[in-house]
Amino acid sequence: MKLSFPSPEFDEAVAGVCHGSFSEEQALALNELLQSDPGARDEYILRVELHAQLASNADLFAATAMGAADEGTSGSILGTEAKVVHLPLPAHGRRQVFGWVAALAACIVLLAVGWWGWRGGQQTERRGATSKAVAMLNGAVDAQWSARDEAPQLGGPLEPGWLRLESGLVQVVFYSGARVVLQGPAEFQIISPNEASCLTGKLTAEVPPQAQGFRVVTPQMNVTDLGTVFGLDVSEGMTELHVFKGSVEFAPASGGSTKQQVTEGAGAVAQGARPPRLISADVAAFASLFDQQDRSVAAKSSGYQQWRAASSRLNQDPSLLVHFDFDHEASSDWRLPNASGAREAVTDGTIVGCLWGEGRWPAKPALEFLGVSDRVRLTVPGGFNSLTLAAWVRIRGLDRQFNSLFMCDGFDAGTLHWLIRDDGVLGLTVIGPGVGNYQIVASPPVVGLDQFGIWRHLAVVLDGSGKQVSHYVNGRRVSQKALKIQPPFRIGPAELGNWNGRGFPDNDPFMIRNFSGAMDEFCLFSRALSDADIRALYLGDKTQH
Amino acid sequence: MSPEPIRPLEDPAAAQQQFLSLFLRSEREVFRYVAALVPNVADAEDIVQQTAVVLWEKFHAYDPRQPFTPWACRFALNKTRQWMERKQRWQALLEGGLAEELVLRREELRPEIDSRLRHLESCLGKLPDAQLSLVEGYYYRRDGIEKLAASSGRTVAATYKMLQRVRLALQTCIEDAGKPAEGAMA
Repeated sequence: MKLSFPSPEFDEAVAGVCHGSFSEEQALALNELLQSDPGARDEYILRVELHAQLASNADLFAATAMGAADEGTSGSILGTEAKVVHLPLPAHGRRQVFGWVAALAACIVLLAVGWWGWRGGQQTERRGATSKAVAMLNGAVDAQWSARDEAPQLGGPLEPGWLRLESGLVQVVFYSGARVVLQGPAEFQIISPNEASCLTGKLTAEVPPQAQGFRVVTPQMNVTDLGTVFGLDVSEGMTELHVFKGSVEFAPASGGSTKQQVTEGAGAVAQGARPPRLISADVAAFASLFDQQDRSVAAKSSGYQQWRAASSRLNQDPSLLVHFDFDHEASSDWRLPNASGAREAVTDGTIVGCLWGEGRWPAKPALEFLGVSDRVRLTVPGGFNSLTLAAWVRIRGLDRQFNSLFMCDGFDAGTLHWLIRDDGVLGLTVIGPGVGNYQIVASPPVVGLDQFGIWRHLAVVLDGSGKQVSHYVNGRRVSQKALKIQPPFRIGPAELGNWNGRGFPDNDPFMIRNFSGAMDEFCLFSRALSDADIRALYLGDKTQH
Repeated sequence: MSPEPIRPLEDPAAAQQQFLSLFLRSEREVFRYVAALVPNVADAEDIVQQTAVVLWEKFHAYDPRQPFTPWACRFALNKTRQWMERKQRWQALLEGGLAEELVLRREELRPEIDSRLRHLESCLGKLPDAQLSLVEGYYYRRDGIEKLAASSGRTVAATYKMLQRVRLALQTCIEDAGKPAEGAMA
């Protein structure tokens, strides 16, 4: 066994060492690599250090338990809770070193308190949102991702790492401007905005002038673009390079210094240790990749049709109180029809301000919330044991401290506020009877800068029977917390994308809560949807046949 | 900190207390030092425990004017070597001078490592709940991997894999946090 760096095998060997589950073969290969490659050695040291820090620094964890969102009171809850947290005593599953440690426990507690006092000032750090992404997934046709990884989101950002595509086609656009179409099965690693490596698979790269110098490394050759369109076919022990436009420079990966330039219509094959030989470029072999654009457009249009079919079935659900599908642009400039079959109970919505824009598919409309007065007003009568809210949104920015998704007017008992806090936390405020009695149920920060400009499915389930509140992003539960306020819950007069504070003090900075972004579907159910229901809602038609 | 260090042997109870206080303050450092060579947590803790026993035995020779942690790490390195000699896999991993090289290089990288790890807490805060609770279960509560696998409905292999992925995500996060923010694409 021989390890290269970087590679998934290196990742696995290092993880094996951390978990103590590595083989002797891995140990020998890792030893050899770490002695010969200083880059791999430094990376190894950093990874092990992170692991050791997680294992030895108990403070790290007690702290994360406190990341609660608190609407309105802005930070004061943290101050009181910090005094009653669990001390990181050394008894948490660790064997005690000496019998007499217990006798000096007081001493340990003092130390523990010392650590706590020290970490109190760190809370502000969590706000420094940065993006790790260097590329985005721009298109996909029948893409099947390896079950080993979490599937990347279409339209979503891609961070440096491995893409393992089992079949289908995807288009990756690097932030340098280089566009790569990849055909599965493929193992492709995104390294930087202008560099990638490919272990196996077929790809075409289109590199605009500003991305010149875009590099793809394969086991057999290093290919550097000089302004071009080229194709690579990487298989067991062999790399084929085809240049369709412009020119490309390549060097054998074996370290040979001989850089060669290949121009339009030509190509090269490198196999094993033999010097590469020149071939002529074969456009036909990459035809399916060049078709990707067309097929992607077709996939989008069929996605819209599938959603329409799923949407009309959804409207039969008797628990669906409100369904704004935003699919009837300009039936009037202010009325938003409630498409739900149960619509007798709930009137249509009223659009205040807002502009129509493009939705999840090019042909589908969505409502854009731009200014501080933009909103959709609606009234939902009745009391409910449980409620579920779900929406497809494209967030432009988190401009306010509290950005309203859906908020009942004012602060009345039994009502709720569904919002995104400016640090990316999803929150549901449930207001109980009596002044100052409300519960804020917050997710961890889940809406980062990377999520802006992309359609996201957000949902929250208020389960009065199970006494739980769950937040979801793209069909996945991101948090679940106990609900302390008793049903019945009410909606009454409420707003999408804004808030009518009513009796709230006029000069309060939390008064302005307008949402900045677009919405292309909103559902309100009078029951608690299950994880599977939310997943199905997110996937639309894909699972319901 | 203490202007008048007590000579350990003169008062056994005071010596114990002094040792414990010094050791507890250094324990995390010593653990990290050992874990740089033997990252597996249970094994590294074994070695730290054995080291603690030796340190107490040798405490009479400790010069309180010297910093405690480097003194303790010297014994920890010896203990680690002795321990490795009995474990073939670990020996295979660290033979040929790699152990010494890792210790040396780690010392050189220390400022860099420490500045990155400062962001670990905020990066943990950004993890989705499921990933955070896995990391918490593994590193903080020390639930066994089987238990973590069973409670998440994954296989043991998939749970290890998940841990690996979460660590890589954390690493990317702390590395980025150290760089000047470039923000997202406009």
